[in-house]
Amino acid sequence: MSAALRTPEDVVPGPDGPAATRPDAGRRARSREGWGALVYLLPALVVFAAFFFFPLARSVYLSFQRSDLFGRPSGFVGFEHYADLFTDPGFGKTLLVTFGFVVLTVVPSMLVGLVLALLLSNRIRGVRFFRTAFALPFAFSVATAAVVFGVMLNPATGVVNGLLSYLGAGPVGWLTEPTTALLSVAITSVWMQVGYNLLVLSAGLGAVPDDVLEAARLDGASGLRLQTGVVLPLISPQLFFLAVTGTVQALQSFGQIHILTRGGPDRSTQTLVYSIYDVAFANNNSNFGAGSAQAIVLLVVVLAITAFQFGFLQRKVFYA
Amino acid sequence: MSARRSPVRSTGRRGLALLGVLVLLLVAACGGGRPEGNLDVPAKDALERATGVTKVTFWHSMDASNGVALNTLVSRFNDAHKGKIEVSAVFQGDYDTAITKYKASVQSSTTPSIIQIYDIGTQFMVDSHEVVPVAGFAKRDGYDLGVIQKNIAGTYTVDGTQWSMPLNSSVPLLYYNKTAFKAAGLDPDKPPQNLDEIRAAAEKLSKVDGGPVAYGFGAAIYGWYLEQLAATAGEEFCDHENGRTGQRVTAADFSSPTIVAAVRWWQQMVADGLAVNTGRVSKDAQDAFKAGQTAMTFESTGQVKGFTAASQGKFELGAAPFPVLSGSEAPGNGPSVGGGSLWISGPGHSEAEKEASWELAQFLAQPDSQAFWHTQTGYFPVNQAALDEPEDKAFVAKNPLFTVAIDSLNRTKVSPATTGCAAGPMPQMRKALEDGLERALIGKDVATSLRKVQENVAESVESYNESVGGD
Repeated sequence: MSAALRTPEDVVPGPDGPAATRPDAGRRARSREGWGALVYLLPALVVFAAFFFFPLARSVYLSFQRSDLFGRPSGFVGFEHYADLFTDPGFGKTLLVTFGFVVLTVVPSMLVGLVLALLLSNRIRGVRFFRTAFALPFAFSVATAAVVFGVMLNPATGVVNGLLSYLGAGPVGWLTEPTTALLSVAITSVWMQVGYNLLVLSAGLGAVPDDVLEAARLDGASGLRLQTGVVLPLISPQLFFLAVTGTVQALQSFGQIHILTRGGPDRSTQTLVYSIYDVAFANNNSNFGAGSAQAIVLLVVVLAITAFQFGFLQRKVFYA
Repeated sequence: MSARRSPVRSTGRRGLALLGVLVLLLVAACGGGRPEGNLDVPAKDALERATGVTKVTFWHSMDASNGVALNTLVSRFNDAHKGKIEVSAVFQGDYDTAITKYKASVQSSTTPSIIQIYDIGTQFMVDSHEVVPVAGFAKRDGYDLGVIQKNIAGTYTVDGTQWSMPLNSSVPLLYYNKTAFKAAGLDPDKPPQNLDEIRAAAEKLSKVDGGPVAYGFGAAIYGWYLEQLAATAGEEFCDHENGRTGQRVTAADFSSPTIVAAVRWWQQMVADGLAVNTGRVSKDAQDAFKAGQTAMTFESTGQVKGFTAASQGKFELGAAPFPVLSGSEAPGNGPSVGGGSLWISGPGHSEAEKEASWELAQFLAQPDSQAFWHTQTGYFPVNQAALDEPEDKAFVAKNPLFTVAIDSLNRTKVSPATTGCAAGPMPQMRKALEDGLERALIGKDVATSLRKVQENVAESVESYNESVGGD
């Protein structure tokens, strides 16, 4: 990179070789160049420093501190917050709920998105209309979608239980029973996520070259065999991308949980992010120390999962 | 290659160092020296001596129609003090969000001049050492705090000092659907007075037993209602006389016979299909009642207007005093007040600013302001004289259910039990109580659930008391 920026006058023929850099001019140029690079990097550095490095360092620092009434750090406690976390059975449950939520949102939203994208890749009438209609939930804000689902899932007045009772089935406490609450919140998230997945996968399917499909068909592949053996590997980059971003997004979900269940009933929807909110901000709590320790755990979890995805899943990705 | 790159890297390092210095400077500038100001009551003429316009920032949690009403009052105040005081009212999100922002503002020495805080934040605000008690101003001026309804004043009084000026107050009521009562063969003019009577009515009302509505009863999982049952039974929810008399609360009694019996009653109602569990979100329970799916619910007086509007043309709405656990209410017992009050900041604010905040607090509590507030929002008139204003008389005539609330509060004697628990970590205690109720409603053992959540919250209480010096 630095060689490309050097001006021709700096390069003069020297006694030892075809070209050597004149020491003085070179240093000045390189120094200029360094400052130049810094100027270009500065905006990004400032943004990263202010919104990423500083908060991260601060979180690490806070996770070793006790918090006072206002959440100010008030004394070093070492690994106490971490020790508390890992000896608290409730935290184990929080982690389980978190992973459960990731699985229940990422897998169905990718499967449904894929099936819809495959169906819509056929040349049928009104395909544009359907694609827009199915992708529309993506345009909803989390809050809007969650409020609407909350109304539909209300045990006494919701349309879902209304339908069930019409069919003769008893009312279900979708958001108030621990067995169904996480599933209900996950369904809300899947509904929002599918539209986006559909768009990305449709774009991937559109880029699958016709001649490859043609060749496969000539070789006798058809139906499911064609889709799984030829089409899927060709859109594996899109699938991989959705798996990674979907997982991170699921790990960071907050709005739908807050609006639908507040982490209940009996903490059955209390994910790691919700738990951080609960400890650090809700109910006039300001235990930023314990909250930061959980945030660091979350960071490690996200990093570990992403590393796994890049290390393991990416090997199965076919980049054409 | 590496030798050639080293100057660049060292410049980079220098640049980073420079950046670090800049960031530090920025941080230092933000958290810089705190302006003048202390916890003393200012001199009476502080405003007159001040030059120019005294600016007051007022943080509050009133949105929608309540926010509109509050802004109207604030502009009336500004018009009346043109050229002298200018109040800018800023909505800061719900109570929980506002108090979180307030704590951040304490850290950065940018507290608002005056802030509305929920009733369960009272002890926290006292402990913050950031507030000039209104009792101090009142004493200086000979202002009679007795004009404030006694129970409401009592809520914001800790150890004999009234700390804040109530703005918006409410008590819970038992709302019921008179039309459904008639259809079930119940007397719509004899609402239930205790939990057993609610159950008896629900047995006639609910679909399970062939009644006219889906569920006889349904209320949100809200700790306030259980605390109220302790209050109407004349019991203190927390130890040390609810923290009202100078000694700090060290525990709330989640396993008191009253709370256990109430939770057990609620659990059985849900298990028998007489009540529906709509979860913690208040709106879900309100919707079920408005839709006629439940025939009785607990809600605050703040819903009188909303429920009245929703019931128009659908059913006849009734309201009754909040029930007691069993039997009938002993004279003097009654519900405790919820809502918000105004706290005047000391440190970081000039004498004139503190004085201007006190002017605003008085203005918002005076009879005509409170009559406007009461009629626009459905909150209680904190100033009893507001009820004599023509505007208010017309409102009460149109919303007769409101007299139920006013009467039930006026009948209640002011005591530690009826003013509610003043504990610093009260919001967490309430949340823990809700956790316990929630566990019971999904079928777990009542006593075990309540004991477990009490253990969970004990640590918060302990660490709170430790952080304020454990006095």
